Amino acid sequence: MAILKPILYILVYPGLIFLMVYSTFCEWYDRKLYARLQNRIGPLHTGRSGILQPVADIIKLFAKEDIVPEKADKAMFTALPIFALAIVCTAALYLPVWHYTEAASFISFPGDLIVVAYLLTLPTLIFFLAGWHSTNYFSAIGGVRVLTMLFGYEIPLLLALLSPAVLADSWRLLEIARFFQNKPLLMLVNVIGFVIALIALQAKLERVPFDIPHAETEIIGGQFTEYSGKKLAFFRLLGDIEMVVGAGLISAVFLGGFPGGLLPGLAWFIIKTLFVISLLAAMRAATSRIRIDQMIHFSWRWLAPLAVLQLFIVIIIKGMVS
Amino acid sequence: MEYKVALGPQHPALHEPISIRMTLDGEIIRDADLKLGYNHRGIEKLAESRTYIQNLYLTERICGICSFSHQTCYTQGVEKLMELVPARRGLYIRTLVCELERVHSHLLWLGVAGQEAGFESFFMYTWRDREVVMDILDWISGNRVHYSMNTFGGVRRDIDELQKKKILDSLGLLKSRTEYYLNLAASEPTFLGRLAGVGKLSKETAIALCAVGPTLRASGVPMDVRKDDPYAVYDEVPFEVCTADSCDVLGRAVVRVKELIQSYLIIEFLLKNLPEGPIKVKAPRKVKENEVYSRYEAPRGENVHYIKSNGSDKPERLKVRAPTLANYAATIAMLKNGFIADIPLIFAAIDPCICCAERLVQLDSARNGESRVLTFSQLRAMANQRYKNVNFKKKDIAWPF
Amino acid sequence: MSLKIAPFLPELLRSLFKKPATVKYPFEKTPVPKDFRGNVVFDPPKCIGCMICVNDCPAEAIEIIRVSETEKKFKMILHNDRCIHCAQCVDSCPTKTYHMNAEFELAVLNRHQLKIEYK
Repeated sequence: MAILKPILYILVYPGLIFLMVYSTFCEWYDRKLYARLQNRIGPLHTGRSGILQPVADIIKLFAKEDIVPEKADKAMFTALPIFALAIVCTAALYLPVWHYTEAASFISFPGDLIVVAYLLTLPTLIFFLAGWHSTNYFSAIGGVRVLTMLFGYEIPLLLALLSPAVLADSWRLLEIARFFQNKPLLMLVNVIGFVIALIALQAKLERVPFDIPHAETEIIGGQFTEYSGKKLAFFRLLGDIEMVVGAGLISAVFLGGFPGGLLPGLAWFIIKTLFVISLLAAMRAATSRIRIDQMIHFSWRWLAPLAVLQLFIVIIIKGMVS
Repeated sequence: MEYKVALGPQHPALHEPISIRMTLDGEIIRDADLKLGYNHRGIEKLAESRTYIQNLYLTERICGICSFSHQTCYTQGVEKLMELVPARRGLYIRTLVCELERVHSHLLWLGVAGQEAGFESFFMYTWRDREVVMDILDWISGNRVHYSMNTFGGVRRDIDELQKKKILDSLGLLKSRTEYYLNLAASEPTFLGRLAGVGKLSKETAIALCAVGPTLRASGVPMDVRKDDPYAVYDEVPFEVCTADSCDVLGRAVVRVKELIQSYLIIEFLLKNLPEGPIKVKAPRKVKENEVYSRYEAPRGENVHYIKSNGSDKPERLKVRAPTLANYAATIAMLKNGFIADIPLIFAAIDPCICCAERLVQLDSARNGESRVLTFSQLRAMANQRYKNVNFKKKDIAWPF
Repeated sequence: MSLKIAPFLPELLRSLFKKPATVKYPFEKTPVPKDFRGNVVFDPPKCIGCMICVNDCPAEAIEIIRVSETEKKFKMILHNDRCIHCAQCVDSCPTKTYHMNAEFELAVLNRHQLKIEYK
C-alpha cells in the first residue's frame, strides 16, 4: 500500500498525466495570447476555441512516417528524445506543489534547487547530441549554436536563482517558497533577478528572441531538421513540459510558491505559471531574433553583471534584515 | 574547416526555388555561387505564338507581386511599335495603379524582412495594413492580384467619384501606419541589430556590378527610370528620388519606406489632377515591322522588355530582363564574408522575385564558340547519359566530422 | 531615433482589446465589389458570330458553335477550367453579349464539371 502513493504521484500528479495535459493547455494559452497580441485569432476550430490544437498536432506527428538518415546512429537517434522527455518530467517532481508542511514531502530534500537546475541543463546537451548525430550540416550548425548559447545564459540563470536562496537561507525549494510566503514584501528585493531569470528561461526554451539554434529561416530546423514522426512529437512535448517546469521553478523561487493543501496548491500553481507564461509570450511577440554573437555579447555585457548586482543587493538586505 | 552547403532549392527562407551553393567556414561564408533555372516556364517562347492582345495577360502572369510592371512595360513597348498616343486619362489611371502596386509591394517587403529576421509580429502588422491597399486595388480593378487594367491605348476601367474618395480616405490611414513602422524599425534594438551593418555594398561595387533599384539607391546612387527616362505621366508629377548612404540592409529598408511616402504623395497628386476624357483609344490589330526597347521602374528596380514585330498580329520575339536578374551579381558580392545568420536578410534585401528572373540566356559552347539548339528528347538523352556515367555508391559517402 | 526597450509592446497590448483582423471564412464572408470579375455570362440572342472573342481569349476557353443552318443563331461553350477571368471577351465583343457576374466559389473535384454551355 505504501508503494501506491509514490506511483500515484509519479503517474498522475505532479507526474506524467498532469504534466502532459497541463503542458498542452499551456501551449494553447501561449499560442492564443501570442495571436491576440498580433491582432489575429490563433487556433479556433479544434475543440472549443482551439483548445485541442496542441493535442491534434502531436497526434498528427505520431501518424507520420519516421525517417532516420542512413549514416546516422540509429540507437542514439531513437534514445535521445526519450531521455530528454524523461529528464524533464523528473525535474517536475521536485516542484513544491502541495507540500507546505515539513511532513510528507514527496521527494524534497535540502539542495533540490541545484538538482532541478542541473536537470534542466541536460536537455540542452541532448539537443547538441541530437544535432551532432543527424548527419546534416544544418543540424551540426544548430547543435553547435545550442552549446554556444549555453555559455551565454546559464551563468546569469544560476546566479539569478541563487539570490532568493541566499535571502531565504536554504537551497531547498520548499523552504524558499515558505520563506517568501511568510514575508511577502521581501519578494520585491529580487525584481532584477526575476527579470534576468525570465530572459534566461526564454533562452533556455529557445523561443524568440533566442530561437537561434532552430532558426527556421536560416538553418531550416537546426538540431531538429532530421527528426520526424514520433521523435519530433517527443521533442515538441519536451518544449512544452520544459516551459511548465521552468515557469514552476521561477514561481516557486521568486513568486512565493504554491501554498495551501491539494486544491488551493493546484490553483496557485495554475495561476502563477500562467502569469509567467504570459510574460514569456509578450517577450516572444515584441522582439525579433538576434544573432548568436549579439546574444553572447548581450548576456555577458548586461545579464551577468546585473545578476551579480542582484546578489550584492540581496547580501546587503540580508545584513539589514537579520 | 571548410565545407560546402547548398541553400535551396527548397528552404524556408526562400519563397521560390533557387540554389545558393556556399562554402562555409564555421558560421562565415567564404564563397557563394547561384544556380538558376528551377522556375523556368518558357514564357518568352509562349509569347511568340500568341497575339499581342493575348500576350497582355501572359506578361501579367510572369510575376504576382510585380504583375502590373510587366504588363505596363509590355503595353508601352507595343504602343510605341503601333505609334499610338494613349488617352490622357488612361495614362493617369495607369500611373495610379503603378504607384498603388509599388505601395503594396513595399509593404509586402517590410513584412518579409521582418519574417526573415524572426520578427513575426511586425510581419503580421504590416500585412494587415497592406490589406487596405489590396482592397483599393480590388475596387478599382476587380482583382487583388493580376489587375489586368492595361490595354493598348489606355486602360480598361474607369474610376468614379466614390472610388476616388475612398482611396483618398485610406491614404491617410496608410500614411500614419507607415510613419509608425519607420519609427518602430528604427528603435527596436533586436531588429536594428539584424539590419545595420549587414550586406555592405559600396558605391563603386554597386555601379560596377550593375545593381538596380533600391539595392543601388541605398548605396547613394540616385538612379531611377522615372526620373532618368520618364514614361506615362511621370514627367508631370513632382516627386523625389530616395537614396540612403549606409550601403547596407538598413539603408535599403529606409529607401523603401521613403519611396512609400513618395508614392502616397504621387497618388494624391494624380487623384486630384485627373483629367476628363476617354480612357482609351482604338488600337490596330496588326503591327508593322519594327523593334522597341521599353523600360519601367518596378518596385524592385529597372524592368526592361524588348519586343520585335514582323508585320503580323503576333510578336516575333519578346525578351524580358527582370530587375532581380541584374541584382544577382551584387548578392554574391554581399554574401562573401558574412554570417550564415545574415543570409536570409541579405537575400531578402534585394527583394528577390525569382520567377521574374527565370528567362532564357543563350550560352555559347566554351570550347569552339558556336551555339546550338537542342530538342527536348536530345536534352533527356544527354541527362540520362550523364547520370549513368557517374558511379558512386551510397555507402562510400563519408560524414566528415 | 534612440533605442528603446520593447517599443512594440504598447501597440501589442492595445490589440488585446481590439477585434481580431481575421474574417472567419466560410462562416463570415466579405462582399465582393461591383465590377468584380467572376464567371463569364453569355447572352445567345445578341451574338452575331464574329468570333473575335474566340481569337482574343488568352486561354482558349471559348467555343462558339452555330446552332442552325438557316438563321444566325449561336451557342457558346465556356471551358471554365481554362478561363483566367480576365474579361477580355467582355471588352472585345462588338455587341455587348458578355458580362461578368459575382461568383467566386468555383472549386470542384472534377475539372470536366466546369464546362458551362449557354444555349
